[in-house]
Amino acid sequence: MRALRFLLLALALGISAPALAQEGTPRGVVSAEELEAATMRQGGMISGRVTLPDQAAANLIQPAGQAWRDFHNRTLTWVGGVAILGMLGVLVVFYLTRGRIRVEGGLSGRTIPRFNLLERANHWMVATSFIILGLTGLNLTFGRFLLLPLVGPETFTAISEAGKIAHNYLSFPFTLGIVLMLLLWVKDNIPNRLDIEWFKQGGGLIGKGHPDSKRFNGGQKMVFWLTILGGGAVAVSGYLLIFPLQGTTVADMQLAHTVHALVGVLMIAAMLAHIYIGSIGMEGAFDAMGSGQVDLNWAKEHHNLWTQEQLAAGRVSGIPGAEAKPAE
Amino acid sequence: MARLKFLCDSDRCIECNACVTACKNEHEVPWGINRRRVVTINDGRPGERSISMACMHCTDAPCAAVCPVSCFYTTADGVVLHDKDLCIGCGYCFYACPFGAPQYPRLGNFGGRGKMDKCTYCAGGPQEDNTRVEYTQYGSNRLAEGKLPICAEMCSTKALLAGDGEIIASIYRERVQTRGYGSGAWGWRTAYRTTVGA
Amino acid sequence: MLIKRSDGRAAKQRLASVYQGLSSGGMDRRGFLKQAGVAGAGLAALSTLAPRMAEAAPSGAMGVINHQQPVQRIKNICTHCSVGCTVTAEVQNGVWVGQEPTWESPINRGTHCAKGAAVRELVGGERRLKYPMKLVNGRWQRLSWDVAIQEIADKMIDIRARTGSDSIFWLGSAKFSNEGAYLFRKFAAMWGTNNVDHQARICHSTTVAGVANTWGYGAQTNSYNDIRNSKTMIIMGGNPAEAHPVSLQHVLAGKEKNRANLIVIDPRYTRTAAHATEYVRIRPGTDIPVIWGILWHIFENGWEDKEFIRQRVYGMDDVRREVAKWNPAEVERVTGVPGAQLRRVAEMFAKERPSTLIWCMGATQKTVGTANVRAFSILLLATGNVGGEGNGANIFRGHCNVQGASDFGLDVATLPAYYGIDETAWRHWARVWGETFESMRARFDSPQMMHTPGIPTTRYFDAATMPVNPETGLAQRSNYKGMIVFGHGGNTVTRMPDAVKGLEALELLVVADPHPTTFAVLSGRRDNTYLLPIATQFECSGSRTASNRSVQWGSKIVDPIFESRTDYRVMYHLAEALDRAAERRNMPIRFREPMFRYIEVRDGEPVPESILREINRGAWGTGYTGISPERLKLHMQHQDKFDIVTLRARDDAPPEIRGDYYGLPWPCWGTPEMRHPGTHILYNTNLHVKEGGGTFRARFGVERNGETLLAEGSYSKGSDIRDGYPEFTVAVLKRLGWYDELTAAEKAVIAEIGQGLGGEDRVSWMTDLSGGIVRVALEHGCSPFGNAKARANAWNLPDPIPVHREPIYTPRTDLLAQYPTLPDRRGFRLPHLGQSIQARSHQLVRDFPLILSTGRLVEYEGGGEETRSNKWLAELQQDMFVEINPRDAAARNIRDGQWVWVRGPENNARVRVKAMVTERVGPGVVWMPFHFAGWFMGEDQRRKYPQGTDPIVLGESANAVTTYGYDPVTYMQETKVTLCQVVAA
Repeated sequence: MRALRFLLLALALGISAPALAQEGTPRGVVSAEELEAATMRQGGMISGRVTLPDQAAANLIQPAGQAWRDFHNRTLTWVGGVAILGMLGVLVVFYLTRGRIRVEGGLSGRTIPRFNLLERANHWMVATSFIILGLTGLNLTFGRFLLLPLVGPETFTAISEAGKIAHNYLSFPFTLGIVLMLLLWVKDNIPNRLDIEWFKQGGGLIGKGHPDSKRFNGGQKMVFWLTILGGGAVAVSGYLLIFPLQGTTVADMQLAHTVHALVGVLMIAAMLAHIYIGSIGMEGAFDAMGSGQVDLNWAKEHHNLWTQEQLAAGRVSGIPGAEAKPAE
Repeated sequence: MARLKFLCDSDRCIECNACVTACKNEHEVPWGINRRRVVTINDGRPGERSISMACMHCTDAPCAAVCPVSCFYTTADGVVLHDKDLCIGCGYCFYACPFGAPQYPRLGNFGGRGKMDKCTYCAGGPQEDNTRVEYTQYGSNRLAEGKLPICAEMCSTKALLAGDGEIIASIYRERVQTRGYGSGAWGWRTAYRTTVGA
Repeated sequence: MLIKRSDGRAAKQRLASVYQGLSSGGMDRRGFLKQAGVAGAGLAALSTLAPRMAEAAPSGAMGVINHQQPVQRIKNICTHCSVGCTVTAEVQNGVWVGQEPTWESPINRGTHCAKGAAVRELVGGERRLKYPMKLVNGRWQRLSWDVAIQEIADKMIDIRARTGSDSIFWLGSAKFSNEGAYLFRKFAAMWGTNNVDHQARICHSTTVAGVANTWGYGAQTNSYNDIRNSKTMIIMGGNPAEAHPVSLQHVLAGKEKNRANLIVIDPRYTRTAAHATEYVRIRPGTDIPVIWGILWHIFENGWEDKEFIRQRVYGMDDVRREVAKWNPAEVERVTGVPGAQLRRVAEMFAKERPSTLIWCMGATQKTVGTANVRAFSILLLATGNVGGEGNGANIFRGHCNVQGASDFGLDVATLPAYYGIDETAWRHWARVWGETFESMRARFDSPQMMHTPGIPTTRYFDAATMPVNPETGLAQRSNYKGMIVFGHGGNTVTRMPDAVKGLEALELLVVADPHPTTFAVLSGRRDNTYLLPIATQFECSGSRTASNRSVQWGSKIVDPIFESRTDYRVMYHLAEALDRAAERRNMPIRFREPMFRYIEVRDGEPVPESILREINRGAWGTGYTGISPERLKLHMQHQDKFDIVTLRARDDAPPEIRGDYYGLPWPCWGTPEMRHPGTHILYNTNLHVKEGGGTFRARFGVERNGETLLAEGSYSKGSDIRDGYPEFTVAVLKRLGWYDELTAAEKAVIAEIGQGLGGEDRVSWMTDLSGGIVRVALEHGCSPFGNAKARANAWNLPDPIPVHREPIYTPRTDLLAQYPTLPDRRGFRLPHLGQSIQARSHQLVRDFPLILSTGRLVEYEGGGEETRSNKWLAELQQDMFVEINPRDAAARNIRDGQWVWVRGPENNARVRVKAMVTERVGPGVVWMPFHFAGWFMGEDQRRKYPQGTDPIVLGESANAVTTYGYDPVTYMQETKVTLCQVVAA
């Protein structure tokens, strides 16, 4: 009896199986594992339909999160670490070998105005917000390793929470300052032939002598454009992150974060150099953004062409006699 | 010690959304926060499958890995929980999560999204079990009462399984053996680096 | 890193051994523990866990549940669909604080759908109607219950005095408990009208008419659980994955365990179809050709069950003649289904038995609804698939108590328990109520109206506006002037623009409901409109009948919230107020005394148990007589003792329920003391009648044209009559020589009843209040209702053998000459247009080329007012939409998610909805869910709701664009096939 039933079953299967094969099973064959593996390989997401208005909810599985995690936990840590620590190292070595760059002719006691109040105020607004943005940003990547063990979780959260708020709100002065900088200084920062020469001579930092330079030399122009373009990139990507999923997808946000973080750490590294050269790295440089008045000799050495213009316009102040050497 | 997991048998799931409203009911989850949701792929075509998805309580959870304040922790049973008092609402876990689990009370609100919220496997949070403060922040703690997540307990077709990974996998495998088909365990490869096995 | 501020984790780890590996998959918690080998200890631990935890945790109160206080667990039944899921509520201090799975319920086994899992919110009640209100010059005003009820009563009596009792329409509800439904039907009877109806009209009235005319009773023959036994299932015109999600637990279990065929026949690739082993897409409105197409292969190949047909079916040869016309080519021409596919379906259904046919509103809401149901029944009969485990007509009904409300006669053509409205029926119920037939007759406008079916809810607005004229218009004394609505949405009936006019014509509109409903905002009414806040079934006790005829007792979880009151109390209050109003006008009619003569009333609140006992005394016709409140409560208490497949209480059950079927599915013969177990599977001859067995009901005489209508050689197990027999009357008992087995007391009751019926010989099993006739029949192993053949030919219906008739609005005008709808006719006091409307299709199809069909979403129910007010559900469906095939969308430049207008062919109707571009629907077909309201033809009506009662989600109603079209037998509306056009908004 059982054998008979088995035979019938086999017959039934034998008849129906080809029929099914021809028609294709109406349910279709779906393999979660294959789909997931394929999505991991090829990128993208497994998505479908949800009735919720939040269409982000329609994404079932997005393996891209793994890639972002790898970026955040590995790439960013390394890039950031290497860039920042590397730059610090370079600066230390540079300081030890080259020492403070002095004004060769000594200070003249005469000054010419280099940056007006608006320019300086704007610079310091950008600089202050950048430093806080940088520190609070670094905190999100490195704080848990460096700060958390020191202060404990509650304090660390308090710091990070305040940091996050500061980071979000300081983006506004930072962005505003970047825009102002662009308007104020772009005319003096258009790259030209002199810059090539300036770079050829190593900006005078490495070799001897001072290449010709107008108001901004090649190095400064680089900082300017790094600030404008990098600042623009972190601002745009940052605002995308502040307004999550407003016209963006998770993938967009992952990309935005990647850009934001990478540009951020590179800018921090670059700005370390900028800070160095503008402070302890070079005699007389700080005054430009401090009082706004620079020593004539400093100006002649580093911005000879610009200084001539200024002198011609009679913008120099102080006692002429105090001048040690006439200008070339 | 158990290793608690979720497994959605998409050959049983009918997108009835009981898991979603049961969760809302159990934890009084506010409008706009969906700790669990049902996604239908190939909607309206052969190959249509509905899958109930929430936090999968991953092994080596990406959310925990990227959290800048380390507010996540994994219980002895493999449940991934977080401490809302430590969370700063930065959204990193949301970028990293392969399942879209992290939810924010004020999505899109400038300056702060509020504390991240997600499925707790009905296991509450770091507060003392079944206290008001725990309930307000995380919802009820069924695990502490010896119960399983309400979504799986109330699933209309018993498609959503919750419990020890080994045991739900064996229940699933038994089903596949009985009926002769199965789409596999959604998200297992991503969450647990394993498949449900045949 | 683990940051735990308490020792809670230690407690968790202790408990880990208990919950380790607990799983709800494939088994319940209990079953799991058994498998895990910790059954004894584990179970004990689970039951005492909560309090122990509470002791361990010394801290303050919980957000929802205070774990330090005792939690009361109360069981009630989900108030949404007809599956009958048990809801376990956790109550503290009179507040419903939590909901737990009910593992022990054999029906839902702990599970719910989105609605069931969210029912706690219904008594959270943010958006509930909080106190009685009325419209005064277009503004809602609060008033007290006493004032509201008395004003309503005065106006009702005034209308009655001027235009008669038939001018008030009593619209009841499938949300009533059985007791509420019965009381409401009784109220209408005492008012003196048959104008009383409820939602069954618009969901399964055609099913009731169709299957009752085939084999006796209008109900699901088997049960959800029994589907686990099926080897082939056809789901046709139903989407239980959304409409009855928990039923899919049983369907899919059967499919998996038996490797069963699951065939879904539907115009739409539904969530149910996604689980089918075979999906058949048909053109909407061609169910009969599809069924005949299947039968064509069955007859052609001789796959029919010849012995079953010979013994138990009348008129199958007439069916063969009709089926012969439906060869594969013609079927494909009309339905679009290839012959090879139907052959495969036919072979599976006929050969891989047991086979069951599951249907829902896709079959019933049609101009050919009754004929569809008849065709389905005939397919089951031809393949011998009725009356056994795993087969049968598994009709999934809609609302939680639509079966019970139908059983208790919320219907224009019957008194409770399907007695009809002839003199015998009225005499029976008058006797149960302690009234005389004459006193009941005096309550009607005329003696004739007492026996004339009333006007169904699908046409109430026509009855309010159509001129009175017995030949061409409304055939009763007056138009509808007043309407009393209990628990019913205003957007559930087609032709809403016409409904607006009807509502505006009414002098009085009373809406008694937990929510204002669409009735409150749809029309431009400015006065004489009352809203009464009614408690949900969670706020009162009572029994409800699930689709499978199992009756379950729900216990009150919390007291009615705000000022809401129970249906029972409001009806009692209204009866009293009507008495006062009538007294003032010196009208002799009274209500309170005749209605509540035998019903216990405590503090103005009629006691449901006592109402059910009155039902037990009178409802012999459906065997509700054995279903006492005490037995039902025992079943709820011992739910875990019932088998999940057979629904029978196992041997370990307490003796007072042992052997019972869960919920005593009717017929539950005799008195409660006789302990009939109920009837799990109708017409099952493999069981003794006393064990739930039965035969087809002898309802239509004993012979026709010389051919017997009684079964031949088929009888239920243990029957003393080994052949067919007619229904039992005293005359039959006498002929069988069993008359003297009646006791003297029984004989005395029968003799007295006989006086009104023209002799005691005419007293039947239905009208014998002593129950003696039923008792004696059962003693002999006989079905009290006889043993007949099922009718393949139902000669009393417009189409005795179902024939294909094109929908009234059809794009296939080429088929109209061959398959026209019925000619214009009259019925239910109204004209009923058929061919004269259908003829319009020729002109319309150019401007309205798409077929419009409607249906259900899992998150919402019915008119949707209640579910759209539930924040947990509303969040999941926030926009009304129309499904449209990518091809049709592309042709109209419509993108997914875009706003579109759907225009209908009547009343310049149009609705603004979102497009969902999807292959769920085929080309040429669009589909809309019917749960939305609150927008009407582009206008947002939110401001018209009383403040704070507007549902969270509003949207256009599908029925604003649905059209004319009624089933000739029941006036079921056509919601599944009409024409429309979709344009970008």
